Amino acid sequence: MLGGDAALVKRKLECIDAGSEYCPCYLAETNECITCSHLQGKEFCDCNWRGVCIYQEYVWSGYKSKGIRCTCRAALLEKKYLSPNTILFRLGVTRTLARELDNPGAYIFIRNEDKPSYFDVPMSVMAVNTEENEISVAMQVVGAKTKALESVREGLVIRGPYWNGILGQRYLKGMKDGNCLVIARGIGQAPAAKVVRYLCRGDNQVKIIADPGKVGTIFIKEFIGNAPCEIEELDLTSKQGLRIINKYLKNEKYDIVFSGGSDKQHLYIIQEIDKVQDKPYLVVTNNNEICCGEGVCGSCSTRIESGVRVKACKVQLDVRKAIERRILNG
Amino acid sequence: MVRVVVIGGGWAGCAAAVTARQAGAEVLILEKTDMLLGLGNVGGIMRNNGRYTASEELISLGAGKLIEITDKAARHSMVDFPGHRHATLYDVTKVEPMVRRLLQEMGVEIRTMARAVDVEKKGAAIKGILMADDSIVEGDVFIETTGSTGPMGNCLKYGNGCAMCILRCPSFGPRTSISQRAGVEDILGQRGDECYGAFSGSCKLNKDSLSDDVRETLDREGVVVLRVPEEDIKMDKLSIKVCQQYALKEFAENVILLDTGHAKLMTSYYPLEKLRKIKGLENARYEDPYSGGKGNSIRYLSIAPRSNAMKVDNLDNLLCGGEKAGLFVGHTEAISTGSLAGHNSVRLVLGMPLLELPRNIVIGDIIAYANERIKTKEGLKKRYTFAGSEYFERMKERRLYTINPEEVRRRVERMDLIDIFSEKLV
Repeated sequence: MLGGDAALVKRKLECIDAGSEYCPCYLAETNECITCSHLQGKEFCDCNWRGVCIYQEYVWSGYKSKGIRCTCRAALLEKKYLSPNTILFRLGVTRTLARELDNPGAYIFIRNEDKPSYFDVPMSVMAVNTEENEISVAMQVVGAKTKALESVREGLVIRGPYWNGILGQRYLKGMKDGNCLVIARGIGQAPAAKVVRYLCRGDNQVKIIADPGKVGTIFIKEFIGNAPCEIEELDLTSKQGLRIINKYLKNEKYDIVFSGGSDKQHLYIIQEIDKVQDKPYLVVTNNNEICCGEGVCGSCSTRIESGVRVKACKVQLDVRKAIERRILNG
Repeated sequence: MVRVVVIGGGWAGCAAAVTARQAGAEVLILEKTDMLLGLGNVGGIMRNNGRYTASEELISLGAGKLIEITDKAARHSMVDFPGHRHATLYDVTKVEPMVRRLLQEMGVEIRTMARAVDVEKKGAAIKGILMADDSIVEGDVFIETTGSTGPMGNCLKYGNGCAMCILRCPSFGPRTSISQRAGVEDILGQRGDECYGAFSGSCKLNKDSLSDDVRETLDREGVVVLRVPEEDIKMDKLSIKVCQQYALKEFAENVILLDTGHAKLMTSYYPLEKLRKIKGLENARYEDPYSGGKGNSIRYLSIAPRSNAMKVDNLDNLLCGGEKAGLFVGHTEAISTGSLAGHNSVRLVLGMPLLELPRNIVIGDIIAYANERIKTKEGLKKRYTFAGSEYFERMKERRLYTINPEEVRRRVERMDLIDIFSEKLV
């Protein structure tokens, strides 16, 4: 049994799926629920309350998990190369799925329908058209799974919705009339596009700093609709680039900074934020290796402070702690 | 300056705030809902049986401000109902703002919709309370009056599910056991069958839903007793109730309504269809819990081990009051234990010896008696109240029960404790 700090850390974990129609999930059936003490095998309430009683939902659904996410075929409406190694897929989905994915941090698993299920690869939803029931994802071709998708012609298999593609979502949720900086590099532009649209809906002022990175192009502009944002191109890996970010952080007093890119990029931005006095909230892409998305397979398992293991596909990790672990502690 | 942080703004927390403030401390109440008084918002019964003696003691001890309010907010006084005499029934629709105003006038800071979720500790001392919004509230000393009722998962596992009571966990989030978070394990009350917890003992009906006849009698007399149809009398239901002072045969054979603004129905829950078979209740509907036809809240699942000075064991600066402090039932019991905790919190910070009330006054005796009994297996199944059951019997045996204020004052005077709770220490 965990004691002291470890117990506290574990108790404070915030599950992205808590209270959704996919909650309680398989973890509840195996006494591994992230939120509910009863569904961790304890006798009494001691949860990290997320607005609903998960135990109640579990009992009412007949002591079973509910709402298994759909695995279905999506029509390929468009396939376009954004750069030699980056492909845009525009997919036709159900109205419900389109609506459920219309959220920053939303992602789906996709795979070539000719391949077995272990070709599933998580992909951020970049744009959603809820009128036409379409979603767009951008994919950088990297390894076996993405190469297998390159050859897709008609349709592919998707599974979703999932939501934990971005950490720090609670800061995005309440943001209105704020001043926001969105920094995105390479394929990190895809989740950033959804963040930009979300922030602009809340009448926030948004400045975008984009770096083509390994995809070699800046494509975010195409996917932010009419959002009135200034986009500046910058090499985020250069000292000069970081100096410019530091200057903006100092002069602009941002309420939120979003970082879409690698953990290293997140770390650099944290370091720059630490140099300024008025610290903005930090929202970043979740770069953990996500494989099943259900907290079951263990591939995203991350060790944070006090030795607590966290299922990063479902938990809204504290950005700083997650990054420290991955970058500094290896 | 001594800074006292009270977690939980029910009757016990408000009483603790009053005496801590009277002792000269700066006092902050953290309350998770948007109202003070917690279950006191659906209570209302004061001064019945031995509670009369305790109320007079509180006044003599210098902690009479809340009793003054419940007397002032009374819809009826000196009401008798089966097994109970000379009750005062306060109006639940009036009392909360009165208490809030009193505390504000006294300079107590009140934060509502402020839910405590954890503690920050240094050694055996609590440094601060971690709030649901991630802020930390610091203080010199802390008083836990979070009660022992709910939350939803407990009400489901040990009861009939959330019945939507006044605590409104779905809206404001669950109660947190501060002492348990600080590493001191909770004690759990049991029912007769050794199942954990117990149902709250009464519901409220909307008065406008009663027949004119019943409503008019309630308004006039304060109490109405209606016969339950023969086929619906269930004696076994009495054993699941917390309020053992109302677990009497009369309460199974009759429904007893008391006028506390709403019509207080003296049973844990009662299926609506059966309730509507009773003459005068043909159109009845519940006011609290909203689903009183199905169940009620589950209590006594979180009691801190404590001394008779109300200090929680093994922690340097946490005191407790109300249901958190034992298997107590009722507002008077909450105000009694809370008042002592509030006063002692200031003594604790000043390094003064903590006050233990002598056992020849009822408040001192019930605090010590409940503490003795909770350590026994049988004692865990009992409840302790001035109003009935085991403890009222004891009061009578020990000749502590009286409704003569002069007599109570003489006792308190003899102990040299007159107005001790209104003495300024800082």
